[in-house]
Amino acid sequence: MATYLEFIQQNEERDGVRFSWNVWPSSRLEATRMVVPLACLLTPLRERPDLPPVQYEPVLCSRPTCKAILNPLCQVDYRAKLWACNFCFQRNQFPPAYTGISEVNQPAELMPQFSTIEYVIQRGPQSPLIFLYVVDTCLEEDDLQALKESLQMSLSLLPPDALVGLITFGRMVQVHELSCEGISKSFVFRGTKDLTAKQIQDMLGLTTPAMPMQQARPQEHPFVSSRFLQPIQKIDMNLTDLLGELQRDPWPVTQGKRPLRSTGVALSIAVGLLEGTFPNTGARIMLFTGGPPTQGPGMVVGDELKVPIRSWHDIEKDNARFMKKATKHYEMLANRAATNGHCIDIYACALDQTGLLEMKCCANLTGGHMVMGDSFNTSLFKQTFQRIFSKDFNGNFRMAFGATLEVKTSRELKIAGAVGPCVSLNVKGPCVSENELGVGGTSQWKICGLDPTSTLGIYFEVVNQHNAPIPQGGRGAIQFVTQYQHSSTQRRIRVTTVARNWADAQSHLRHIEAAFDQEAAAVLMARLGVFRAESEEGPDVLRWLDRQLIRLCQKFGQYNKEDPTSFRLSDSFSLYPQFMFHLRRSPFLQVFNNSPDESSYYRHHFARQDLTQSLIMIQPILYSYSFHGPPEPVLLDSSSILADRILLMDTFFQIVIYLGETIAQWRKAGYQDMPEYENFKHLLQAPLDDAQEILQARFPMPRYINTEHGGSQARFLLSKVNPSQTHNNLYTWGQVMK
Amino acid sequence: MAELYVKPGNKDRGWNDPPQFSYGLQTQAGGPKRTSLTKRVAAPQDGSPRVPISETSPGAPPVGPPPLSSKASRPPPVGSSPACSVEPTNFPVIECETLLEDVLKPLEEALDDCRGHTKQVCDDISRRLALLQEQWAGGKLSTPVKKRMALLVQELSSHRWDAADDIHRSLMVDHVTEVSQWMVGVKRLIAEKRSLSSEETSEEKSTATAEEHQTVPGIHRLHNPVGSPDSPQTIS
Repeated sequence: MATYLEFIQQNEERDGVRFSWNVWPSSRLEATRMVVPLACLLTPLRERPDLPPVQYEPVLCSRPTCKAILNPLCQVDYRAKLWACNFCFQRNQFPPAYTGISEVNQPAELMPQFSTIEYVIQRGPQSPLIFLYVVDTCLEEDDLQALKESLQMSLSLLPPDALVGLITFGRMVQVHELSCEGISKSFVFRGTKDLTAKQIQDMLGLTTPAMPMQQARPQEHPFVSSRFLQPIQKIDMNLTDLLGELQRDPWPVTQGKRPLRSTGVALSIAVGLLEGTFPNTGARIMLFTGGPPTQGPGMVVGDELKVPIRSWHDIEKDNARFMKKATKHYEMLANRAATNGHCIDIYACALDQTGLLEMKCCANLTGGHMVMGDSFNTSLFKQTFQRIFSKDFNGNFRMAFGATLEVKTSRELKIAGAVGPCVSLNVKGPCVSENELGVGGTSQWKICGLDPTSTLGIYFEVVNQHNAPIPQGGRGAIQFVTQYQHSSTQRRIRVTTVARNWADAQSHLRHIEAAFDQEAAAVLMARLGVFRAESEEGPDVLRWLDRQLIRLCQKFGQYNKEDPTSFRLSDSFSLYPQFMFHLRRSPFLQVFNNSPDESSYYRHHFARQDLTQSLIMIQPILYSYSFHGPPEPVLLDSSSILADRILLMDTFFQIVIYLGETIAQWRKAGYQDMPEYENFKHLLQAPLDDAQEILQARFPMPRYINTEHGGSQARFLLSKVNPSQTHNNLYTWGQVMK
Repeated sequence: MAELYVKPGNKDRGWNDPPQFSYGLQTQAGGPKRTSLTKRVAAPQDGSPRVPISETSPGAPPVGPPPLSSKASRPPPVGSSPACSVEPTNFPVIECETLLEDVLKPLEEALDDCRGHTKQVCDDISRRLALLQEQWAGGKLSTPVKKRMALLVQELSSHRWDAADDIHRSLMVDHVTEVSQWMVGVKRLIAEKRSLSSEETSEEKSTATAEEHQTVPGIHRLHNPVGSPDSPQTIS
């Protein structure tokens, strides 16, 4: 349906919202029969170069239990200067500043094209951004050198008034006092003993918390800092030297042992330090680690190399000694950081696992990044790290801090929960459903670290009774209010208000069907599946997913009983079964062939990307390049692998270029260097150019595999495609087609 | 002006390490773009696997050469094709040598201008300039670094602070190993000169407008406000 695709795309571009259903079934019973829940993917800070923020504060509904924000769906009486809240129907007086409005002189927030609008909050202090580096020194020499250089480079990428701090750790944990005088001092902690927040603050001399930001004089920033967190413009030279002088952890590592790494205590001190100095302000704790924690609270494996770190097999057999305790330790830290609005990033570069499984809550609950690489001396780490500091079209960092998302719904809907990089704020209310999907029981969540691609899946419940009439006006509405700290340190509020038509499912099923967004539905179901997989057994999740697919096909498929070949799905459902097929084979739901750390890494990125990227992760994109015409998308199937084609596969985490057998032979023969075969040179170059475009922009940077027929790395492609043709059935089909 | 190149990744440490893009290429990319490779094909509803016609069959005798240029259509890439390819490119060689004095003298002059500030900072900067001189004279710096430093001092002398800052950033990103020890001194020098010149401007002009008065370098201006703080703006 061309019109619905356009409608869906326009709405996504304007509001950053994609619903699984764009026409809503009007009763609870019918909604559950739809199988796929009513839900949406919301990208709260979607980049809108065409949307300048307005420099005034939003107008709120005066009912204390509502407080919805004035939006284009509200009825307005311009003569009496009243507006009716579309959520609670309260009549509100416009504030004095709005006396001049009329039908021809509307404020921006009432105009339909401003269903998404951003406000800049003028009141309140503006605090600088804070970056606390927590650096593992148990690295090999060249790895440490590469990491040091990346950190020194980052000092040039940070804004001059940002505050920066340094904690290094190995067997001991060192908190460095940053000063401009020549001598560098540090506080040393044992890596074996965990400390409470108060103990840490006492030992660091932070007994009086830093004053909350005083009212700034115009155009001046109050530099409230501590000895451990100083502004870049003051400290960059000394910190550059300090970083340059960092040495490998001096404690000798004997044969057959791992280095003693006190990650748990280091992170604990970092969280405690920020809690004591800058609570409730945007900050990033950036943990750089080259191996697993091997001592103290949060240790993931012992120091004996002959005892390997836990695998999925160990976990299934309940043979992972340290897992529960370590996970609990990092969860406690993650929750404390999230409460204070601080986010925790993990940059783990090592050839073996580093404990991402236990530490993942630090990144997942706070909205921090998780980067996994083989070494700090690789382009994958260096460039991914650089991209953290990428800037938008205005020259501001894309990263944003300390966001709270509030959702309001019209009476017929309730909020079941959210899946994404957030924590619950436990705000109960009339909009909150008792049936939870994802992080539920609340209408507000906190996202401490986010960027323009951060996306949450938000799930709803229709609560209208069966056979109750369709609500007057025929439309349901939802408002998303995101308050956050912009990287320019301004506080902003982004408000998105959307509405969709209700329909009676019994008489208008075709309308509801036509307005199904199969892409959004696939991602929303996948997020639910991945959420379940964290606490349920793998096979149970797959069974659940399969059952949902079967029910959906039963409801919306056209078929004659006893005749499998008669089964048809309408266009708006045609890709959905494929998505489910690839989802159940994906690394998000299949842990086979991945370590627990790898699974955690893949799931982390899946639970926060926008729709397009999430779909790429579920079902990789495959494009075919040939002499027969322009590059075309092809089925992710072994039948797409042909001798005279070049394939480009994008799985989000890898970019694979695969040369068919004939193409590989031609390349080996060197035809690309002969002038009369210049078109062959262009053919070889085309997928490389397209791959480059993806590599240049994506965060995290994907791995790059350039392989050919028979190459060992062709397995990346072969393991992803549907094996419709195998050695078992090849001769059945192949002979016929000749 | 910025270097645009692509180097292969570190194949020793990561066998599928992606290629490394220069700072110029990365900032040119403009951030996350919607990838143009996003289409999918629906599976055939009748359930049989498609086997499209192929010109060659697997296991056949050696094939002939590819189609000649004149006949076959040239397949254009799906996305726009940028100037650089994924394979490494050769950097054009500069004819004239960048002279150390051309770079060092303006930097030292700039430092002298800033002597009014804390002694500690100026000593620190001058120590790093000495390091720069030592490395340059000792042949430890590559040609691109020398060339870009010459550009940097030109921008600095012309009071184009943002441009000079950008060059310093590009050098830190692309050549961190060579420049990290002393580049932070140059960075500080740019910042000091910038704040010094803004002080001079505000002293000279008694009626300074908001645009000209730079208080804290590096903080970018907000969007042009849509409305004043007191009244909502109407948008036509």
